[in-house]
Amino acid sequence: MAKNKRDTNVLATYNIKGGVGKTSAAVNLAYLAARDGNSTLLWDLDPQAASTYLFRVRPKIKGGGRGLLRSRSRTADHVKATDHELLELLPADFSYRHLDLALDQFKKPAARFRKVLEPLLQDYDYIFLDCPPSISLVSESVFEAADALLVPVIPATLSSRAYEQLDELSRRGKVGKMGGTEIFSFFSMAEVLRPLHLQVMEKLRSAEQLKVLGAAIPVADEVEMMGEERNPVAVFAPTSAAAVAYEALWHEIQGRLWPDVAPKEPAASVEPPVVPVAPEPTPVESPAG
Amino acid sequence: MQSALRGWFTITVGEAAEVERTYYDTFDGLLYDAGLTLSIQGGVRTLTMRDGSQPEAGVTAEKVAGVRMLLVVAKVRLTTQILNVLDEREKTVCRIVLETPIGLRERARLVPMKGYERERDRIHEFLVSSGAFAPADLPLLDDAVLAAGGQPEGIRSKVEVPLRSIDRADVAVASVLSRLIEILDANLPGTLADTDTEFLHDYRVAIRRTRTVMREMKGVFPAAQIKRLRVEFKWLQEITGPTRDLDVYLLEFERLRAVAPMAMRLDLDPLLEVLKDWHQSARERMEAELRSERAQAVHGDWGRLVALLIGLNQEDRPDAGRAITELSGERIQRVHRRMVKMGRGITADSKPEEYHELRKQGKELRYLLELFAVPLYDADVVKPMIRALKGLQDVLGTHQDRDVQALTLKRLGENVAAQPGGTAALMAMGALLERLEAEAQAARDQFATSFAEFASDAQLKLVDKTFNTSAA
Repeated sequence: MAKNKRDTNVLATYNIKGGVGKTSAAVNLAYLAARDGNSTLLWDLDPQAASTYLFRVRPKIKGGGRGLLRSRSRTADHVKATDHELLELLPADFSYRHLDLALDQFKKPAARFRKVLEPLLQDYDYIFLDCPPSISLVSESVFEAADALLVPVIPATLSSRAYEQLDELSRRGKVGKMGGTEIFSFFSMAEVLRPLHLQVMEKLRSAEQLKVLGAAIPVADEVEMMGEERNPVAVFAPTSAAAVAYEALWHEIQGRLWPDVAPKEPAASVEPPVVPVAPEPTPVESPAG
Repeated sequence: MQSALRGWFTITVGEAAEVERTYYDTFDGLLYDAGLTLSIQGGVRTLTMRDGSQPEAGVTAEKVAGVRMLLVVAKVRLTTQILNVLDEREKTVCRIVLETPIGLRERARLVPMKGYERERDRIHEFLVSSGAFAPADLPLLDDAVLAAGGQPEGIRSKVEVPLRSIDRADVAVASVLSRLIEILDANLPGTLADTDTEFLHDYRVAIRRTRTVMREMKGVFPAAQIKRLRVEFKWLQEITGPTRDLDVYLLEFERLRAVAPMAMRLDLDPLLEVLKDWHQSARERMEAELRSERAQAVHGDWGRLVALLIGLNQEDRPDAGRAITELSGERIQRVHRRMVKMGRGITADSKPEEYHELRKQGKELRYLLELFAVPLYDADVVKPMIRALKGLQDVLGTHQDRDVQALTLKRLGENVAAQPGGTAALMAMGALLERLEAEAQAARDQFATSFAEFASDAQLKLVDKTFNTSAA
């Protein structure tokens, strides 16, 4: 069911560390949002272009990242349809590796991404940002643009340490519009049979100051196979544990961010929402001549 | 298709389906006019431009249709087959939907994918240059409507009959009246079914136009027959009047409610209920009358007279053989003079009936101008004349509407008082009456200015010069 709401929601998958499942989360969640009838955009900010690759789109932005930031052309002109209905992509470009430098030339670098996205807000129900790892001007600009950060955390001590760093930043008011951005974490690449993972998960879930979502994405072959299949998990393995976990995660995110919005129902098809003509019109015979 | 593209592009075969698609438009083709196509397929409603592109944000079929109902204009059963065209990354860059509608031409639709417009254009070019495909001249909807014998642009209630100045009066009159008969026939079923309020409105306008021609051009008809049929058409107008008045009242109710003082607006609900009741019984009476033998006989007799008119003996049809330019010029001049005379007699103290009478003459003149002067006379004269007349009619119309609304309010008082909440409603109606009367008064104040423009010396001279063909 399409979300019935006024504003576009900008969600960013972010972690200081790489290889924690950011892209997988961004791609799968964006797919689920679109499948539910929401017009959705994914902006692949990572110069490694993993999401762009997964959607089979050429990782190229005319004029590069710098051109995009300067709004030399309309942002919408760079958007590409994916093979999935209602899901569109703002592709990555190799030049994104210098995005920090490009941002630095603006007076308010942190506000820049929001500016770039602004003209798109009326076109989409959801915008997902797939962010490169690191803490930099790029991430600051992401914090500013996003309504919520979704932070995948591998339940191992080192990775959860990264989350704690971010939480620290947030408490010092450095993250988000006046520090108002919601931050949620969720467990990624979780191995429920490993005692260490279980311990870390238990510990983090009980930490009051952290908002840890219940759904955990398991370590799974299907997630790895995304690179081969170049599709969201729900497309090629809809009944797999990973697909079910992303579904649960998406459900939970919606419930946490928009508790007033009716919960989604998985749509039977990818068609746009149904609005019948009401009342049923009476056919009138066409008089001859 | 696949063989045509194979070797040039990678094609994968997507979903195939058998579907039924239903297209909607208003009776008079308002969506067509706006360049829109509305369809429902498998419960999914789609509004596109006629070329398949997306309409501007905020455009809805309902807004375009206004008071008109969206009706089924075509149902098409078709099989669809999707072909995906892939690039070297195996990314879909274009979807081709092969549509095979039963009984209609097969077609291929290239579904645009954002960011891949160039690829789509290349495929389009390739298909056309292969010789196997030609660019579609008409959308599927038009094919379907035409195949069913309909008109894609809808059924209009415009008259627009071309006339020649040398035409015999009865020939010209018969062709105008034939068109009016078409409009009457086209709008009667929707009037009876209460499909939307415009059917009755258009039906009544056609009746009024017909009556104008009957009255002003009576010399082209056999005297006894036209006398009888004029009575019958007056009757048709009378039996349809109350329903139309109440249609307007209901359509305008929210606007009217807004005229009442803020605190009293909700108190008017009992009035709305009474209006709906009255409307219901007026409509039932009208439907019964329109289905009666008498009404059927009028339509039949009138159709026969118009069809046979030009072959009838001319002896008791003194104007039949005159040139239409001469006859219509004479009538236009006469009605214009009558209006000027009447209008000059009207002062701020005149009774409402005098204003109403002038408005009736104004309608008579307007119909004569539209039906005959537009096709026969210089547009540079006729158009400004119609414009000045419209200005005057608007003022008179506002006056009459407010007057009639006020009168209806007074008549409804007793019924409304008997409703729950009736006392508060009566007080609100009192406040409403005051405002309506004030608006009627404002229209009266405006009358002098509009009339002066309509009846200026320059206008009078121009009318004389243009329409004085018989004296020449």
